[in-house]
Amino acid sequence: MNLDWSVVWQFSGTLAKGAGITILLTIATMAVAVPGGIVLALMRLSPNRVLNWMALCFVEFFRNIPLILLVYWSFYVLPVLSGLTLPPFTTGLVALALNVSAYNSETFRAGINSIRKGQSEAGLALGMSHIEVMRKIVLPQAARRVLPVLASTWVSLFKDTSLVSVIAVGELAHTALEIRSQTFRILEILTAMAVIYWVLGYPQAKLADWIYRKWGVKE
Amino acid sequence: MSNVTEADFGRKNASSTPVVEYRDVRKQYGNFTALDGVSARVNRGEVLCLIGPSGSGKSTLLRTTNALEVIDGGQLYFDGHPLPSSKAEIRKVRQRMGMVFQSFELFPHKTVLENITIGPLTVLGISEAEANARARVLLEKVGLTDKADRYPANLSGGQQQRVAIARALAMEPEVMLFDEPTSALDPETIGEVLNVMKRLADEGMTMVVVTHEMSFARRVADWVVVFDHGKIVEQGPPAQIFDAPREDRTRNFLSHLGWNG
Repeated sequence: MNLDWSVVWQFSGTLAKGAGITILLTIATMAVAVPGGIVLALMRLSPNRVLNWMALCFVEFFRNIPLILLVYWSFYVLPVLSGLTLPPFTTGLVALALNVSAYNSETFRAGINSIRKGQSEAGLALGMSHIEVMRKIVLPQAARRVLPVLASTWVSLFKDTSLVSVIAVGELAHTALEIRSQTFRILEILTAMAVIYWVLGYPQAKLADWIYRKWGVKE
Repeated sequence: MSNVTEADFGRKNASSTPVVEYRDVRKQYGNFTALDGVSARVNRGEVLCLIGPSGSGKSTLLRTTNALEVIDGGQLYFDGHPLPSSKAEIRKVRQRMGMVFQSFELFPHKTVLENITIGPLTVLGISEAEANARARVLLEKVGLTDKADRYPANLSGGQQQRVAIARALAMEPEVMLFDEPTSALDPETIGEVLNVMKRLADEGMTMVVVTHEMSFARRVADWVVVFDHGKIVEQGPPAQIFDAPREDRTRNFLSHLGWNG
Protein backbone atom coordinates (compact mmCIF):
# COMPACT_ATOMS: atom_id res chain seq x y z
CA MET A 1 0.00 0.00 0.00
CA ASN A 2 1.47 3.31 -0.97
CA LEU A 3 0.67 6.26 1.15
CA ASP A 4 0.84 9.81 -0.03
CA TRP A 5 0.79 12.20 2.89
CA SER A 6 1.39 15.20 0.66
CA VAL A 7 -2.35 15.36 0.14
CA VAL A 8 -2.69 16.50 3.73
CA TRP A 9 -0.29 19.41 3.20
CA GLN A 10 -1.91 20.20 -0.11
CA PHE A 11 -5.26 20.68 1.62
CA SER A 12 -3.95 22.01 4.92
CA GLY A 13 -5.54 25.42 4.39
CA THR A 14 -8.95 23.89 3.74
CA LEU A 15 -8.62 21.60 6.76
CA ALA A 16 -7.61 24.54 8.94
CA LYS A 17 -10.67 26.43 7.80
CA GLY A 18 -12.84 23.41 8.62
CA ALA A 19 -11.28 23.18 12.06
CA GLY A 20 -11.98 26.89 12.56
CA ILE A 21 -15.65 26.34 11.73
CA THR A 22 -15.78 23.39 14.16
CA ILE A 23 -14.44 25.61 16.95
CA LEU A 24 -16.79 28.44 16.00
CA LEU A 25 -19.77 26.08 15.97
CA THR A 26 -18.84 24.73 19.42
CA ILE A 27 -18.55 28.24 20.86
CA ALA A 28 -21.78 29.42 19.22
CA THR A 29 -23.69 26.36 20.44
CA MET A 30 -22.54 26.86 24.03
CA ALA A 31 -23.26 30.59 23.82
CA VAL A 32 -26.87 29.67 23.11
CA ALA A 33 -27.15 26.52 25.21
CA VAL A 34 -25.82 27.93 28.50
CA PRO A 35 -28.40 30.71 28.82
CA GLY A 36 -30.96 28.37 27.27
CA GLY A 37 -30.16 25.72 29.87
CA ILE A 38 -30.47 28.23 32.72
CA VAL A 39 -33.85 29.45 31.49
CA LEU A 40 -35.13 25.88 31.09
CA ALA A 41 -33.83 24.91 34.54
CA LEU A 42 -35.53 27.90 36.16
CA MET A 43 -38.75 27.00 34.34
CA ARG A 44 -38.48 23.42 35.60
CA LEU A 45 -38.00 24.69 39.15
CA SER A 46 -40.69 27.36 39.02
CA PRO A 47 -43.95 26.81 40.87
CA ASN A 48 -45.84 27.72 37.67
CA ARG A 49 -47.18 24.43 36.32
CA VAL A 50 -47.42 25.56 32.70
CA LEU A 51 -43.80 26.73 32.57
CA ASN A 52 -42.80 23.60 34.37
CA TRP A 53 -44.55 21.32 31.93
CA MET A 54 -43.30 23.18 28.85
CA ALA A 55 -39.71 22.89 30.03
CA LEU A 56 -40.15 19.25 30.95
CA CYS A 57 -41.48 18.40 27.48
CA PHE A 58 -38.70 20.33 25.79
CA VAL A 59 -35.97 18.67 27.83
CA GLU A 60 -37.31 15.14 27.61
CA PHE A 61 -37.95 15.46 23.88
CA PHE A 62 -34.61 16.88 22.78
CA ARG A 63 -32.57 14.79 25.19
CA ASN A 64 -34.06 11.53 24.00
CA ILE A 65 -33.89 11.72 20.24
CA PRO A 66 -30.63 10.99 18.43
CA LEU A 67 -28.66 14.11 17.61
CA ILE A 68 -28.23 13.03 13.99
CA LEU A 69 -31.99 12.83 13.60
CA LEU A 70 -32.29 16.31 15.06
CA VAL A 71 -29.73 17.54 12.53
CA TYR A 72 -31.70 16.05 9.63
CA TRP A 73 -34.95 17.34 11.09
CA SER A 74 -33.59 20.88 11.34
CA PHE A 75 -32.42 20.65 7.75
CA TYR A 76 -35.49 19.13 6.11
CA VAL A 77 -38.48 19.76 8.38
CA LEU A 78 -37.75 23.05 10.15
CA PRO A 79 -37.72 25.10 6.90
CA VAL A 80 -41.12 23.64 5.99
CA LEU A 81 -42.57 24.37 9.43
CA SER A 82 -41.06 27.82 9.84
CA GLY A 83 -40.96 28.93 6.22
CA LEU A 84 -37.34 30.05 6.66
CA THR A 85 -34.43 28.58 4.80
CA LEU A 86 -31.40 28.89 7.02
CA PRO A 87 -27.80 28.47 5.90
CA PRO A 88 -26.30 25.08 6.87
CA PHE A 89 -24.16 26.55 9.67
CA THR A 90 -27.20 28.09 11.37
CA THR A 91 -29.24 24.93 10.82
CA GLY A 92 -26.50 22.86 12.47
CA LEU A 93 -26.32 25.39 15.28
CA VAL A 94 -30.07 25.10 15.89
CA ALA A 95 -29.89 21.30 16.10
CA LEU A 96 -26.90 21.29 18.44
CA ALA A 97 -28.28 24.11 20.60
CA LEU A 98 -31.62 22.31 21.08
CA ASN A 99 -29.85 19.15 22.19
CA VAL A 100 -27.21 20.79 24.39
CA SER A 101 -29.72 23.20 25.98
CA ALA A 102 -31.74 20.20 27.10
CA TYR A 103 -28.64 18.60 28.62
CA ASN A 104 -27.46 21.85 30.20
CA SER A 105 -30.87 22.38 31.73
CA GLU A 106 -30.55 19.11 33.63
CA THR A 107 -27.03 20.05 34.67
CA PHE A 108 -28.17 23.43 36.00
CA ARG A 109 -31.21 21.92 37.68
CA ALA A 110 -29.03 19.44 39.53
CA GLY A 111 -26.63 22.25 40.42
CA ILE A 112 -29.40 24.45 41.81
CA ASN A 113 -30.91 21.54 43.73
CA SER A 114 -27.51 20.71 45.22
CA ILE A 115 -27.44 24.02 47.09
CA ARG A 116 -28.99 23.16 50.42
CA LYS A 117 -32.23 24.71 51.54
CA GLY A 118 -30.60 26.48 54.47
CA GLN A 119 -28.75 28.76 52.06
CA SER A 120 -32.02 30.03 50.57
CA GLU A 121 -33.53 30.30 54.03
CA ALA A 122 -30.60 32.41 55.20
CA GLY A 123 -31.28 34.78 52.30
CA LEU A 124 -35.02 34.81 52.88
CA ALA A 125 -34.48 35.45 56.59
CA LEU A 126 -32.57 38.61 55.66
CA GLY A 127 -35.70 39.76 53.86
CA MET A 128 -34.60 38.99 50.31
CA SER A 129 -37.11 38.01 47.63
CA HIS A 130 -36.96 34.59 45.98
CA ILE A 131 -35.48 36.19 42.86
CA GLU A 132 -32.76 37.95 44.87
CA VAL A 133 -31.97 34.70 46.67
CA MET A 134 -31.70 32.90 43.35
CA ARG A 135 -29.53 35.58 41.77
CA LYS A 136 -27.21 36.40 44.64
CA ILE A 137 -26.98 33.18 46.61
CA VAL A 138 -28.09 30.07 44.76
CA LEU A 139 -27.02 30.64 41.14
CA PRO A 140 -23.46 31.83 41.88
CA GLN A 141 -22.88 28.72 44.00
CA ALA A 142 -24.63 26.43 41.54
CA ALA A 143 -22.53 27.85 38.68
CA ARG A 144 -19.34 26.80 40.41
CA ARG A 145 -20.69 23.33 41.00
CA VAL A 146 -21.79 22.80 37.41
CA LEU A 147 -18.66 24.24 35.80
CA PRO A 148 -16.87 20.86 35.69
CA VAL A 149 -19.94 19.22 34.12
CA LEU A 150 -20.25 22.03 31.58
CA ALA A 151 -16.59 21.57 30.73
CA SER A 152 -17.11 17.91 29.90
CA THR A 153 -20.26 18.75 27.92
CA TRP A 154 -18.07 21.16 25.97
CA VAL A 155 -15.56 18.44 25.17
CA SER A 156 -18.33 16.08 23.94
CA LEU A 157 -19.93 18.87 21.95
CA PHE A 158 -16.65 19.65 20.21
CA LYS A 159 -16.62 16.11 18.82
CA ASP A 160 -20.38 15.91 18.23
CA THR A 161 -20.24 18.91 15.91
CA SER A 162 -18.93 16.41 13.34
CA LEU A 163 -22.51 15.11 13.03
CA VAL A 164 -23.61 18.27 11.24
CA SER A 165 -21.30 17.29 8.37
CA VAL A 166 -24.29 15.34 6.99
CA ILE A 167 -25.98 18.62 6.07
CA ALA A 168 -22.85 20.06 4.45
CA VAL A 169 -21.78 22.46 7.16
CA GLY A 170 -18.19 23.11 6.13
CA GLU A 171 -16.69 22.14 9.47
CA LEU A 172 -13.75 19.81 9.96
CA ALA A 173 -15.45 16.45 9.39
CA HIS A 174 -17.32 17.61 6.32
CA THR A 175 -14.23 19.27 4.85
CA ALA A 176 -12.10 16.19 5.43
CA LEU A 177 -14.70 13.86 3.95
CA GLU A 178 -14.99 16.11 0.88
CA ILE A 179 -11.23 16.00 0.36
CA ARG A 180 -11.39 12.24 0.74
CA SER A 181 -13.92 11.88 -2.04
CA GLN A 182 -11.94 14.21 -4.30
CA THR A 183 -8.60 12.51 -3.81
CA PHE A 184 -9.52 8.95 -2.74
CA ARG A 185 -6.73 9.26 -0.14
CA ILE A 186 -8.95 7.70 2.50
CA LEU A 187 -6.41 6.54 5.06
CA GLU A 188 -4.33 9.72 4.92
CA ILE A 189 -7.27 12.06 5.24
CA LEU A 190 -9.05 10.12 7.97
CA THR A 191 -5.79 9.92 9.90
CA ALA A 192 -5.23 13.64 9.49
CA MET A 193 -8.80 14.27 10.61
CA ALA A 194 -8.30 12.10 13.71
CA VAL A 195 -5.03 13.86 14.53
CA ILE A 196 -6.58 17.31 14.20
CA TYR A 197 -9.58 16.39 16.38
CA TRP A 198 -7.26 14.85 18.94
CA VAL A 199 -4.76 17.71 18.99
CA LEU A 200 -7.57 20.22 19.45
CA GLY A 201 -9.66 18.08 21.78
CA TYR A 202 -6.99 16.78 24.15
CA PRO A 203 -6.02 20.17 25.63
CA GLN A 204 -9.73 20.92 26.11
CA ALA A 205 -10.19 17.66 27.98
CA LYS A 206 -7.15 18.45 30.13
CA LEU A 207 -8.54 21.92 30.78
CA ALA A 208 -11.84 20.34 31.81
CA ASP A 209 -9.97 18.07 34.25
CA TRP A 210 -8.15 21.07 35.65
CA ILE A 211 -11.42 22.97 36.09
CA TYR A 212 -12.81 19.92 37.81
CA ARG A 213 -9.95 19.85 40.30
CA LYS A 214 -9.97 23.60 40.87
CA TRP A 215 -13.72 24.21 41.08
CA GLY A 216 -15.05 20.82 42.09
CA VAL A 217 -17.11 20.92 45.26
CA LYS A 218 -15.13 20.93 48.45
CA GLU A 219 -16.92 22.24 51.45
CA MET B 1 -52.04 27.49 79.54
CA SER B 2 -54.94 29.17 81.27
CA ASN B 3 -52.52 30.82 83.65
CA VAL B 4 -50.45 32.76 81.12
CA THR B 5 -51.36 36.10 82.66
CA GLU B 6 -50.58 34.88 86.14
CA ALA B 7 -47.31 33.40 84.96
CA ASP B 8 -46.49 36.64 83.20
CA PHE B 9 -46.34 38.40 86.51
CA GLY B 10 -42.97 39.99 86.99
CA ARG B 11 -41.85 39.65 83.39
CA LYS B 12 -39.84 42.36 81.67
CA ASN B 13 -42.03 44.95 79.90
CA ALA B 14 -45.05 42.78 80.61
CA SER B 15 -47.44 45.70 80.31
CA SER B 16 -46.41 46.83 76.83
CA THR B 17 -47.14 45.13 73.50
CA PRO B 18 -45.10 41.96 73.16
CA VAL B 19 -42.59 41.85 70.28
CA VAL B 20 -43.81 38.39 69.34
CA GLU B 21 -46.93 36.64 70.47
CA TYR B 22 -48.01 33.10 69.60
CA ARG B 23 -51.69 32.32 70.11
CA ASP B 24 -52.77 28.72 69.89
CA VAL B 25 -50.29 28.13 67.04
CA ARG B 26 -50.66 24.84 65.16
CA LYS B 27 -48.46 23.19 62.59
CA GLN B 28 -48.99 19.85 60.94
CA TYR B 29 -46.68 17.81 58.70
CA GLY B 30 -48.95 15.20 57.19
CA ASN B 31 -50.05 13.10 60.15
CA PHE B 32 -47.41 14.52 62.45
CA THR B 33 -48.48 17.35 64.71
CA ALA B 34 -45.42 19.53 65.15
CA LEU B 35 -47.17 22.30 67.07
CA ASP B 36 -50.33 21.52 68.96
CA GLY B 37 -51.78 24.81 70.12
CA VAL B 38 -48.84 26.81 71.40
CA SER B 39 -49.35 30.14 73.18
CA ALA B 40 -46.50 32.26 74.42
CA ARG B 41 -45.25 35.82 74.29
CA VAL B 42 -41.89 37.48 73.95
CA ASN B 43 -41.66 40.88 75.58
CA ARG B 44 -39.36 43.67 74.50
CA GLY B 45 -35.82 43.24 75.79
CA GLU B 46 -36.47 39.72 76.95
CA VAL B 47 -34.38 36.62 76.35
CA LEU B 48 -36.71 33.70 75.90
CA CYS B 49 -35.21 30.23 75.76
CA LEU B 50 -37.07 27.31 74.21
CA ILE B 51 -35.94 23.98 75.61
CA GLY B 52 -37.15 20.41 75.32
CA PRO B 53 -36.36 17.09 73.67
CA SER B 54 -35.38 16.89 69.98
CA GLY B 55 -38.42 16.94 67.72
CA SER B 56 -40.62 18.50 70.37
CA GLY B 57 -41.47 21.51 68.17
CA LYS B 58 -39.26 24.25 69.54
CA SER B 59 -37.36 24.83 66.27
CA THR B 60 -40.61 24.69 64.34
CA LEU B 61 -42.08 27.40 66.56
CA LEU B 62 -38.99 29.55 66.06
CA ARG B 63 -39.23 29.10 62.29
CA THR B 64 -42.90 30.13 62.24
CA THR B 65 -41.86 33.46 63.79
CA ASN B 66 -40.39 34.74 60.50
CA ALA B 67 -42.66 32.56 58.35
CA LEU B 68 -39.97 30.13 57.21
CA GLU B 69 -42.70 27.73 58.31
CA VAL B 70 -46.28 28.75 57.67
CA ILE B 71 -48.67 27.98 60.50
CA ASP B 72 -51.80 25.89 59.95
CA GLY B 73 -53.83 27.34 62.79
CA GLY B 74 -53.86 29.98 65.49
CA GLN B 75 -52.33 33.45 65.23
CA LEU B 76 -48.93 34.96 65.32
CA TYR B 77 -48.38 38.61 66.15
CA PHE B 78 -45.29 40.66 65.53
CA ASP B 79 -45.23 43.99 67.34
CA GLY B 80 -48.98 43.81 67.85
CA HIS B 81 -49.83 43.07 64.20
CA PRO B 82 -50.80 39.68 62.80
CA LEU B 83 -48.05 38.17 60.63
CA PRO B 84 -48.98 39.16 57.06
CA SER B 85 -49.59 36.58 54.37
CA SER B 86 -48.44 38.45 51.26
CA LYS B 87 -44.87 37.73 50.18
CA ALA B 88 -43.91 41.40 50.01
CA GLU B 89 -45.23 42.09 53.50
CA ILE B 90 -43.51 39.02 54.90
CA ARG B 91 -40.22 40.32 53.53
CA LYS B 92 -40.73 43.58 55.42
CA VAL B 93 -41.28 41.65 58.64
CA ARG B 94 -38.24 39.44 58.07
CA GLN B 95 -36.10 42.54 57.64
CA ARG B 96 -36.92 43.41 61.23
CA MET B 97 -35.97 39.97 62.58
CA GLY B 98 -32.50 38.46 62.60
CA MET B 99 -32.03 34.72 62.36
CA VAL B 100 -29.09 32.51 63.28
CA PHE B 101 -29.09 28.90 62.08
CA GLN B 102 -27.68 25.75 63.61
CA SER B 103 -25.50 25.14 60.54
CA PHE B 104 -24.47 28.84 60.22
CA GLU B 105 -25.49 29.04 56.54
CA LEU B 106 -22.90 31.65 55.71
CA PHE B 107 -22.64 32.25 51.98
CA PRO B 108 -19.49 30.34 50.98
CA HIS B 109 -18.89 32.37 47.81
CA LYS B 110 -18.76 35.64 49.73
CA THR B 111 -16.11 36.99 52.08
CA VAL B 112 -16.90 37.55 55.73
CA LEU B 113 -17.45 41.27 55.05
CA GLU B 114 -19.67 40.55 52.04
CA ASN B 115 -21.70 38.08 54.08
CA ILE B 116 -22.48 40.87 56.50
CA THR B 117 -23.17 43.57 53.90
CA ILE B 118 -25.26 41.50 51.47
CA GLY B 119 -28.46 41.93 53.49
CA PRO B 120 -28.34 45.70 53.93
CA LEU B 121 -27.07 46.22 50.35
CA THR B 122 -29.72 44.04 48.75
CA VAL B 123 -32.67 44.73 50.96
CA LEU B 124 -32.21 48.08 52.67
CA GLY B 125 -30.56 49.75 49.70
CA ILE B 126 -27.95 51.60 51.76
CA SER B 127 -24.65 52.68 50.20
CA GLU B 128 -21.70 50.32 50.05
CA ALA B 129 -19.61 52.64 52.21
CA GLU B 130 -22.29 52.70 54.89
CA ALA B 131 -22.80 48.94 54.73
CA ASN B 132 -19.06 48.33 55.03
CA ALA B 133 -18.78 50.70 57.97
CA ARG B 134 -21.68 48.98 59.70
CA ALA B 135 -20.13 45.57 59.03
CA ARG B 136 -16.79 46.61 60.51
CA VAL B 137 -18.45 47.80 63.70
CA LEU B 138 -20.25 44.46 63.98
CA LEU B 139 -17.07 42.48 63.27
CA GLU B 140 -15.45 44.31 66.13
CA LYS B 141 -18.41 43.49 68.31
CA VAL B 142 -18.07 39.76 67.60
CA GLY B 143 -14.28 39.96 67.83
CA LEU B 144 -13.40 39.11 64.24
CA THR B 145 -12.06 42.38 62.80
CA ASP B 146 -9.04 40.61 61.30
CA LYS B 147 -11.18 38.10 59.37
CA ALA B 148 -13.09 40.58 57.18
CA ASP B 149 -11.54 39.42 53.91
CA ARG B 150 -11.49 35.69 54.64
CA TYR B 151 -13.95 33.20 53.23
CA PRO B 152 -16.20 31.24 55.62
CA ALA B 153 -14.44 27.96 54.77
CA ASN B 154 -11.28 29.36 56.37
CA LEU B 155 -12.95 30.02 59.72
CA SER B 156 -13.64 27.74 62.66
CA GLY B 157 -17.24 26.84 63.46
CA GLY B 158 -17.37 29.28 66.34
CA GLN B 159 -16.01 32.07 64.17
CA GLN B 160 -18.50 31.26 61.41
CA GLN B 161 -21.37 31.42 63.85
CA ARG B 162 -20.17 34.77 65.17
CA VAL B 163 -20.10 36.06 61.59
CA ALA B 164 -23.63 34.72 61.15
CA ILE B 165 -24.71 36.69 64.21
CA ALA B 166 -23.07 39.82 62.78
CA ARG B 167 -24.82 39.19 59.45
CA ALA B 168 -28.19 39.08 61.20
CA LEU B 169 -27.40 42.17 63.30
CA ALA B 170 -26.46 44.13 60.17
CA MET B 171 -30.17 44.45 59.41
CA GLU B 172 -30.62 46.16 62.80
CA PRO B 173 -33.38 43.77 63.79
CA GLU B 174 -35.85 44.23 66.61
CA VAL B 175 -35.64 40.60 67.62
CA MET B 176 -33.02 37.90 67.11
CA LEU B 177 -34.03 34.29 66.52
CA PHE B 178 -31.44 31.63 67.35
CA ASP B 179 -32.05 28.07 66.17
CA GLU B 180 -29.74 25.85 68.22
CA PRO B 181 -26.80 28.15 67.51
CA THR B 182 -24.21 26.01 69.27
CA SER B 183 -25.40 22.48 68.43
CA ALA B 184 -23.06 22.11 65.45
CA LEU B 185 -20.02 23.49 67.25
CA ASP B 186 -16.97 21.84 68.75
CA PRO B 187 -17.17 22.09 72.53
CA GLU B 188 -14.19 24.44 72.70
CA THR B 189 -15.86 27.05 70.47
CA ILE B 190 -19.31 26.99 72.08
CA GLY B 191 -18.23 29.46 74.76
CA GLU B 192 -17.20 32.20 72.33
CA VAL B 193 -20.62 32.11 70.65
CA LEU B 194 -22.52 32.06 73.94
CA ASN B 195 -20.45 35.02 75.14
CA VAL B 196 -21.43 37.05 72.10
CA MET B 197 -25.06 36.13 72.73
CA LYS B 198 -24.79 37.03 76.39
CA ARG B 199 -23.38 40.44 75.51
CA LEU B 200 -26.22 40.97 73.05
CA ALA B 201 -28.71 40.11 75.77
CA ASP B 202 -27.02 42.52 78.18
CA GLU B 203 -27.42 45.28 75.57
CA GLY B 204 -31.16 44.71 75.74
CA MET B 205 -31.71 42.80 72.48
CA THR B 206 -34.95 40.83 72.37
CA MET B 207 -33.96 37.21 71.74
CA VAL B 208 -35.70 33.90 71.16
CA VAL B 209 -33.23 31.06 71.59
CA VAL B 210 -33.78 27.37 70.90
CA THR B 211 -31.02 25.71 72.86
CA HIS B 212 -29.71 22.59 74.53
CA GLU B 213 -27.28 24.69 76.58
CA MET B 214 -29.05 24.56 79.93
CA SER B 215 -26.45 26.57 81.79
CA PHE B 216 -26.84 29.36 79.21
CA ALA B 217 -30.61 29.26 79.61
CA ARG B 218 -30.26 29.28 83.39
CA ARG B 219 -27.86 32.21 83.37
CA VAL B 220 -29.15 34.40 80.53
CA ALA B 221 -32.84 33.69 79.93
CA ASP B 222 -35.55 35.89 81.41
CA TRP B 223 -38.15 33.33 80.54
CA VAL B 224 -37.92 29.65 79.74
CA VAL B 225 -40.45 27.63 77.75
CA VAL B 226 -40.34 23.83 77.98
CA PHE B 227 -41.61 21.86 74.99
CA ASP B 228 -42.69 18.29 74.61
CA HIS B 229 -44.65 16.67 71.78
CA GLY B 230 -45.59 19.96 70.16
CA LYS B 231 -46.96 21.48 73.34
CA ILE B 232 -45.69 23.74 76.04
CA VAL B 233 -45.26 21.68 79.18
CA GLU B 234 -44.30 24.52 81.42
CA GLN B 235 -43.06 28.08 81.20
CA GLY B 236 -41.60 30.36 83.78
CA PRO B 237 -38.52 32.21 84.93
CA PRO B 238 -35.32 30.12 84.91
CA ALA B 239 -35.32 29.87 88.69
CA GLN B 240 -38.63 28.05 88.54
CA ILE B 241 -37.82 25.81 85.57
CA PHE B 242 -34.37 24.75 86.68
CA ASP B 243 -34.65 24.82 90.45
CA ALA B 244 -38.28 24.12 91.18
CA PRO B 245 -40.01 22.70 88.10
CA ARG B 246 -43.73 22.24 88.58
CA GLU B 247 -44.18 19.56 85.97
CA ASP B 248 -42.88 15.99 86.02
CA ARG B 249 -42.08 16.15 82.33
CA THR B 250 -39.84 19.19 82.89
CA ARG B 251 -38.07 17.34 85.69
CA ASN B 252 -37.71 14.23 83.52
CA PHE B 253 -36.30 16.19 80.62
CA LEU B 254 -33.79 18.01 82.80
CA SER B 255 -32.71 14.83 84.59
CA HIS B 256 -32.14 13.12 81.21
CA LEU B 257 -29.72 15.90 80.40
CA GLY B 258 -27.99 15.33 83.71
CA TRP B 259 -29.09 18.73 84.96
CA ASN B 260 -28.56 19.03 88.66
CA GLY B 261 -28.55 22.78 89.07
